[in-house]
Amino acid sequence: MTEPIRTILQESRPDQAVIDRYARAAAGLIGAENVSANHVDLLSTCRDYWPVNSIWMLEGAVPALPQLVVWPQSTEEVSQLLALANEQRIPVVPYGEGSGALGGVIPLRGGVMIDLKRMNKLRSLDQKNLLVTVEAGVNGELYEEHLNRAGYTGGHFPQSLRCSTVGGWLACRAAGQFSTRYGKIEDIAVSTEAVLADGTIFRGRRVPRSSTGPRVDRLMIGSEGIFGVITAATLRVWPLPEKRHLASYTFENLDDGLEAIRLVMRSGARPAVVRLYDAVETGNHFPELSDQRCALILLIEGARTIVDAEQEVIAEHVLANGAEESGSKYVEHWLETRFNISAASRLLQKGAVLDTIEVTTNWHNALSTYLAMQEALKGVEGTIMASGHWSHVYPEGAALYMTVVGFPAEDKITYYKKLWQGAMDASLAEGAAISHHHGIGLHRGLWMAEEHGKGLEVLRRIKGALDPHGIMNPGKLGLEEVAKWQK
Amino acid sequence: MAEVNMEELLNCALCPNICRCECPVLQVLGREAVAPSGKARLAAMLQQKQLNWDEQVLEAVSNCLGCRGCTIYCPFAELSLCDELLNTRLDAKDGGIKLSVVDPCLVNLSKHGSPYGQKKGSSAAGDSGAEILYFAGCTSQANHPESIEAARALFREAGVPFQMIEEDCCGYPAEVWGDEELARQLAAENRRKIAESGASTLVTNCPECWLTFTDRYPAWGEELPQEVVDGPTYFLGLIKAGKLKPRQSSLGKVSYHDPCIWARTAEKTAEPREILERIPGLSLEEPLSCGKFTRCCGGGSMFQLSFPEASAAIADRRLAEFPEGAAIITACPFCREGLLQDGEGRRVLELIELLAKTCCR
Ligand SMILES: Cc1cc2nc3c(=O)[nH]c(=O)nc-3n(C[C@H](O)[C@H](O)[C@H](O)COP(=O)(O)OP(=O)(O)OC[C@H]3O[C@@H](n4cnc5c(N)ncnc54)[C@H](O)[C@@H]3O)c2cc1C
Ligand code: SF4
Ligand code: SF4
Repeated sequence: MTEPIRTILQESRPDQAVIDRYARAAAGLIGAENVSANHVDLLSTCRDYWPVNSIWMLEGAVPALPQLVVWPQSTEEVSQLLALANEQRIPVVPYGEGSGALGGVIPLRGGVMIDLKRMNKLRSLDQKNLLVTVEAGVNGELYEEHLNRAGYTGGHFPQSLRCSTVGGWLACRAAGQFSTRYGKIEDIAVSTEAVLADGTIFRGRRVPRSSTGPRVDRLMIGSEGIFGVITAATLRVWPLPEKRHLASYTFENLDDGLEAIRLVMRSGARPAVVRLYDAVETGNHFPELSDQRCALILLIEGARTIVDAEQEVIAEHVLANGAEESGSKYVEHWLETRFNISAASRLLQKGAVLDTIEVTTNWHNALSTYLAMQEALKGVEGTIMASGHWSHVYPEGAALYMTVVGFPAEDKITYYKKLWQGAMDASLAEGAAISHHHGIGLHRGLWMAEEHGKGLEVLRRIKGALDPHGIMNPGKLGLEEVAKWQK
Repeated sequence: MAEVNMEELLNCALCPNICRCECPVLQVLGREAVAPSGKARLAAMLQQKQLNWDEQVLEAVSNCLGCRGCTIYCPFAELSLCDELLNTRLDAKDGGIKLSVVDPCLVNLSKHGSPYGQKKGSSAAGDSGAEILYFAGCTSQANHPESIEAARALFREAGVPFQMIEEDCCGYPAEVWGDEELARQLAAENRRKIAESGASTLVTNCPECWLTFTDRYPAWGEELPQEVVDGPTYFLGLIKAGKLKPRQSSLGKVSYHDPCIWARTAEKTAEPREILERIPGLSLEEPLSCGKFTRCCGGGSMFQLSFPEASAAIADRRLAEFPEGAAIITACPFCREGLLQDGEGRRVLELIELLAKTCCR
């Protein structure tokens, strides 16, 4: 016999009798085939893609286990399930496709996993108003495929496109690789439909803008399951672009590259993809280019005449800032390889600790934040690589995405925490936002107080009002201390 | 017994399920436990003795169609998840665990040489000693005698002498259900009869039989002495040689469903289409996913027998990808069954039947 599986972060669990009662009632509401206490289902929904979970997986442990998995198929069913859990004070965690990067789905206090994947219908495509209404559990790639077949694009391509849900994107304020033109998910979303902890269903309006007080449905965007469950959303779509132009350049240093992008954004041009890599990443992704230079890749798309004009404006700015042209083939290479994350599995098996840490900088602190974070990451003994690139660009700044790999001699978790402490301290000291798009989940909650100051108290009060019994995804977003996961 | 490749299995277990969008089982069930990487994680835990076999675990790691949809986006060239899962399942038997739903089918296999029970049509036929041996496979034998009739008619029309043996199931179902011993017994029996036939070429219209003959038999030390040729390639050859002359078909709009094994393992996507193009009167319209990007009909790995409800849901999902009003043509007995599951009266035909209708008097 094998030992019972080790749970590292489990804080508590409701009595099994309470869960059994809930399971029977849930089966009555949504059908026994949509409720499971099968240990295989519990084991399979207990983690996401937070690298610490992978380390534990290799050690044969899990972060924590839920006690029940339910698969509602309609908003009404979600409402009934939540109302019942609220009555019984049972913790509930929404689960999309588990690609979250910060431990957001870990059921720290057991309870019920509400898996949204059986809510995967595209309710309507409104071509006149360029809007699509879609249920939360639809897979990203299948969502885009559906739109493409009708001649549209959703404009949202996170690297996890093929393994994340629309609901997960909204819950985490995700960003796609083409966000400079189409926006982050909060720009693409027009409204959400959601269910609060007590079962209340509420929907936003699908009008472009309004002046009718705060649009409360937008509270759900970025809420990572702490207020309730996003069940559907209305999102913008765009006609498939008529033209796509690919261009790449190299710069002698990051300063010149950053200045070039800043001026491009200032000009009003909106390339879909803007990625400026430091020399290390340039060498990793495009070995031919290496030679200590920094690569910039650009993808411009849309109506032909607009793309032509943008192309001209962009070329003017980057060339004026010391860029050398390197053609389209590096962008083609990026397009082909942009979803390949095989290196992570291989490195993890070799015993590496790795992560990606994305923050948001303005232009004035873009370079200094990069340098400070890199220094902090390299300063932890065991680090073999700490590199970065900027993507997701705005007139006022850009996202900085750092990648770190190490083979620590010490305990992996201790090393991991040191990496993050250094990176977060550097980011906060430089005035960057501690996350651009991966969100907070469990782990980044450790720095939420420093990020928000009094703002965190406001968030706590909202949480208290919307979820007075604290059943929704407890222990996340840094709203409360998690004894087993401290700095 | 084939070993699990632990390094590849762990690569998959550590992957964030990049291919989940192309896994039909996951897409209809929505269960993490049957997501590609979800199954790999369970398999890895079994291998590392962190998990014990029980029927729930076996059920999850059996929830794989062997369709290789996951390979479309998989970054690990050396990984074959469906084979790793299959190899994993072979251990369950030693643990005394089996899927109760397929138990009667396994009994049928060992008693009758067919998962469907007493064999009906399988008897030696044709011209004994002929160069061509036609192997129909247990599913056609049990459920689609018309497809075998079509093959015979085509051989006769082309003037090609052929023979058939008293077939046993090729062994594929026994293997996917975790009974390698039985699979090998069936293989040995078939090999003996096939070798004794003296034929120089074995033609089969069943992709599962083709895969088992070409891949598993050599691995089990039962390599066939003959060349093994897939049905579409063989019958296209007869058309090209002028031995079969398709006449006008009244079917009009048709759409071809690529069986997963023909498309992704055998890489036979052009041959069936070329046959269709050579039948006058047909207009071919592709389904939304086709060629090597095809999506499974729900019939892979004997799903109709092991997981009938999921199989039917996968078929429905696939059927929705076909153009309205088109007759669906396929080249696999399982696909034919899978796609007929919706019962909505879609016309589904095997290519071989369509060809016989247009070539034979
Ligand atoms: C390889 C890889 C690449 C990635 N690339 C990107 C990228 O380019 N851009 C980016 O932004 N992110 C990226 N991520 C992070 C991740 O994919 C996103 O955060 C994604 O939005 C999560 O979606 P999911 O469906 O997998 O959510 P999950 O991981 O299942 O859940 C994430 C959080 O949201 C909550 N949640 C999920 N669904 C709902 C719902 N319907 N209602 C309420 N709460 C819900 C969960 O409780 C959890 O707290 C990447 C991740 C991986 C593994
Ligand atoms: S089959 Fe490949 S892409 Fe799919 S989960 Fe496994 S490793 Fe990832
Ligand atoms: S072979 Fe098919 S069913 Fe099996 S994991 Fe891959 S995609 Fe899913």
